[in-house]
Amino acid sequence: MDRNQLIKWLKAPAKMGHKYSLHAVYFCTGCGIIEVPPSITARWDAERFGVLPVATPRQANLFLITGYVSVKTLRAIIRTYEQMPEPKYSVGFGSCPINGGMYWDSYNTIKHLDKYIPIDGWIAGCMPRPEAIFVAVTHLWTLIDKDMADGYKRYRDHYQAYRANQEHALGKLEWPPLFSNETKS
Amino acid sequence: MKDPLKDKLTSAFDGIQIQPADRNQISITANKESILSVLSLLKSNGYNHLALISCVDWIEEKRFELVYILSAYMEKDKHFTDMEKTNIILKTSIYREKPQFISAIPIFENAEPYEREIHELYGIHFEGHPRLTPLFLEREYKTPPFRKDFDTRKYVSDVFDPIPFVGKKADKR
Repeated sequence: MDRNQLIKWLKAPAKMGHKYSLHAVYFCTGCGIIEVPPSITARWDAERFGVLPVATPRQANLFLITGYVSVKTLRAIIRTYEQMPEPKYSVGFGSCPINGGMYWDSYNTIKHLDKYIPIDGWIAGCMPRPEAIFVAVTHLWTLIDKDMADGYKRYRDHYQAYRANQEHALGKLEWPPLFSNETKS
Repeated sequence: MKDPLKDKLTSAFDGIQIQPADRNQISITANKESILSVLSLLKSNGYNHLALISCVDWIEEKRFELVYILSAYMEKDKHFTDMEKTNIILKTSIYREKPQFISAIPIFENAEPYEREIHELYGIHFEGHPRLTPLFLEREYKTPPFRKDFDTRKYVSDVFDPIPFVGKKADKR
């Protein structure tokens, strides 16, 4: 263990635990997923950074959205995000989740993903290299340190607005609201 | 293409045009009434694999062009013949107003998903198709989205752009 970080460990052990055990849900959408197998396997080895892919959202706390989001995929993304236990961090990978990218005028893609679920960070580029994932992960560490990776809190606070946006894009949702009606905001 | 087959086609159907399109490709243009019989004749003459049904929207000529791509499976324990290298591109035109056509399922069963897709994206109704239900799309579209008169930018600015940002980000903008 790094001795310089000892004070941090003693001050906020849970935060340090979240930082160094990011479990990414293995959710594939768009073309960006092609960068994930090399980054989790021997060539770039994401486990150096404590990032591991896991099979189900119940075991995960990092959500990488890798590429364009069609309307049909948005439904799966919302369900996956809502099933992840808190604290959870979501990172948009590539330019398509940010503003649609090259599909900005498509009839069937979601343009701004952060209108529907909260996003803690973006990795810009088309495609980003696997190294960019690690830049994002180290940046996410500093965000967690400073309590700025608060997407799951924002989701709780503005759940009504997010739900309204989701229903605007998808029509009626077939699952009940995750949080009850009273909002803090 | 084997010449006997060419003779058969030209003698059996009126207004059929056969020309080589590219290397190993033969383009056949047929009337819409005779398309099923052309398909079954080609199937019985060895072109037994329907690879794709596609559709082209010729908006200025007010017609849809349906494209059937056929090829032949290689037979066991034989060398690659000329026929197996050849693809047949069978084209036909239908009217753009209230587009309707006959389903090719009785001849090629794998036409079902292609026709379903064309029904969804171009709005062509296939008679005799067992289930023309949505295949890919999640939303309802007034104009089917692959038609040329579907304005994607207007659709995006009407549907997706009014959705507001949430939280702090909304205050900033």
